[in-house]
Amino acid sequence: MREKATTLYIGPQHPGITGNMMVRVKVEGDTIVKATTEVGYLHRSFEKLIEKRNWLQSFTLLCRFCVPEPDPVEESYARAVELLEGREVPERAKYIRVLVLELARIASYLLWYGGQSASLGLYTIGQWSVGDRNYILDLFEELTGGRVYHMYIWPGGVRRDLPKGFENKVLKTMDYLEKRLDDYDDLMFDNTIFRKRTQGVGIIDKEKAVEWGVVGPPLRGCGIRSDIRIDDPYEVYNKLDFVVPVEEGGDIWARALVRRQEIRQSIRIIRQVLDNIPAGKYYNKIPNPQKWALPKGDAYTRTEAVRGEVGMYVVSDGGTHPRRAHFRGAAYVHAITLLENLLVGENISDIAAIMNSLGTCPPEIER
Amino acid sequence: MLLEIFSFSTLTANIDKSLHAWMAPWLAVVTELVIIGIVFLLFYAVLGLFLVYLERKVCAIIQNRIGPNRVGKWGLLQTVADFIKLITKELIPIRNADSFLFNLAPFIVIAASFMAMAAIPFAKGLHAIDLNIGIFYIIAVSSLGVVGILIAGWSSNSKYSLIGAMRSGAQIVSYELSVGLSLLAVVVFAGTMQLSAIVESQANGWWIFKGHIPALIAFIIYLIASTAEINRGPFDLAEAESELTAGFHTEYSGIKFAFFFLAEYINMFIVAAIAATMFFGGWMPFHIGHWDAFNRVMDYIPSVVWFFGKTFFIIYLIMWFKWTFPRLRIDQLLNLEWKYLLPLSLMNIVIIAFVVLMGWYFH
Repeated sequence: MREKATTLYIGPQHPGITGNMMVRVKVEGDTIVKATTEVGYLHRSFEKLIEKRNWLQSFTLLCRFCVPEPDPVEESYARAVELLEGREVPERAKYIRVLVLELARIASYLLWYGGQSASLGLYTIGQWSVGDRNYILDLFEELTGGRVYHMYIWPGGVRRDLPKGFENKVLKTMDYLEKRLDDYDDLMFDNTIFRKRTQGVGIIDKEKAVEWGVVGPPLRGCGIRSDIRIDDPYEVYNKLDFVVPVEEGGDIWARALVRRQEIRQSIRIIRQVLDNIPAGKYYNKIPNPQKWALPKGDAYTRTEAVRGEVGMYVVSDGGTHPRRAHFRGAAYVHAITLLENLLVGENISDIAAIMNSLGTCPPEIER
Repeated sequence: MLLEIFSFSTLTANIDKSLHAWMAPWLAVVTELVIIGIVFLLFYAVLGLFLVYLERKVCAIIQNRIGPNRVGKWGLLQTVADFIKLITKELIPIRNADSFLFNLAPFIVIAASFMAMAAIPFAKGLHAIDLNIGIFYIIAVSSLGVVGILIAGWSSNSKYSLIGAMRSGAQIVSYELSVGLSLLAVVVFAGTMQLSAIVESQANGWWIFKGHIPALIAFIIYLIASTAEINRGPFDLAEAESELTAGFHTEYSGIKFAFFFLAEYINMFIVAAIAATMFFGGWMPFHIGHWDAFNRVMDYIPSVVWFFGKTFFIIYLIMWFKWTFPRLRIDQLLNLEWKYLLPLSLMNIVIIAFVVLMGWYFH
């Protein structure tokens, strides 16, 4: 007997996903036969707005590309501007940038813990991890003045030096987090139901993954070792010792395992950064931003964010404003093409879990 | 045996006697029914509100939070405030909904849980009716609730409600079997379906101890299956928030939603009360063999305290499940029942029959 397909609208609110985005699915019974993503709830024309601002003013926009992890976008843009001008960054600033990027990665993963488990009906771990994320946000507040939006990484370095005693506070928080991660494992990864719900669900084919342009943890969950921090090291990542975890399988479980290991690697990186951070300048002062013209040319930089590779292409026509800035985020590929393909044949119960495991970030799609 | 001062039989007998003294017999019976109705309604409301409060507190403790603590002492009046909000809220009419069935559904759900409450022995000599098929009656009546849920889903004219209701129907009908079979285990042990007799049979030890391994298996199956039957996490597929908004009661608002909400919590209480009565001796105190002094001290604790203590212990277990397990998918849920729990409980029944025949349990 052939069941009649009906259309369901899932969203635009989803657990654990910042921003709004709808998935329209055609279902036969419980099984999805066709999925269409509907974006457009958050369009703020970031790229056009960047053209109207001078080289420094855009940072208030850049951090709003993806709320849970704003720093990689700032980093990309700052590096693109530095490339255009040929400006040197002090060694200390490079270390501080890595510290901030990795702290942001941990904060974002802690939010992901909540989203991934809440999408499967386990709300407790989200409360724990978002509570623990607050300790990292406290660090950010002390360092940058902002908890969520930092606007900290600038062309020429970082906006402020590390406060006194900040290193110790970071180390203490990391020690605490490492202990808490074991608790999360007990509740989430050691849970049979969690494993059963995630294994074999939302499988990305290894061959198709490259074809579709999958990046970040979903790609590493397919067994392909790819990380911009290793492949095309920026800042001081080539001086640091860390492993890029890879899992086979390509399902939600594999992606979750990748993230679980990455958060520990980030802690490892932070410890190394704090051990090796040199003294000295943290900022090469830029000229008056109102009159700061960059030489003609273009620059492309890529950065490894939590969701995968983010790229920033900036064109200068020799003026005080960018001629064009284009941003390519991982969520665009993951949450549109990939999601529509992955959802076919899955159960409607798994939509939210798959979206979370792909690192969907609607504001990043509609820049 | 329990001390007589804590027995409710004298109290109920006295009320009965004094009513009969100055009323016609039929009037006395009607008055008694009215009194029982009012007492149950009050109990129902207070219990429902308290369980909602308890859930929020337990969940808060598990999640490293404080929970409600602003309205009243320790936030005790929070749920009262919520309930006042719910009953004064506008009832939103749903376009193209079958309004008769739509309005009927919450009453069926709440009536089912209300009827089940009637047969539960709350303390020594305190139950509304002591049917000779008590446990059978409770199982039969409590499964009526699914009719209300299916009607609610169908009449709401919403796809999400319908999916939730259908999931719920499949789930309740399947898990009903395991619940029945695991309770049958105790019926086989006790040799009666009368709840007061089952409680009396546990005077020298609760069935979970006396029936050792088979009773323990039956209890675990009962705990899993009954959690599924009342649509609570990890089996809360019917109202999976992250998938279906709110499942079968998506379209309900105000007092009608409150009915579903209260019924859900009362069902949890009923399920826990049955477990306490069947496996943990109901209102019977905890006795250890010939430790007379210890047993004597235990006797001083009123039977109501014993009953509610055990019941709330099991309620706590059920809440604990909800906040530490992810939700199952519908196919996994049905697999668990039909492939594991049902064969296991069938086997368990055979074993228990054998154990009882051979007398291999503690008398």
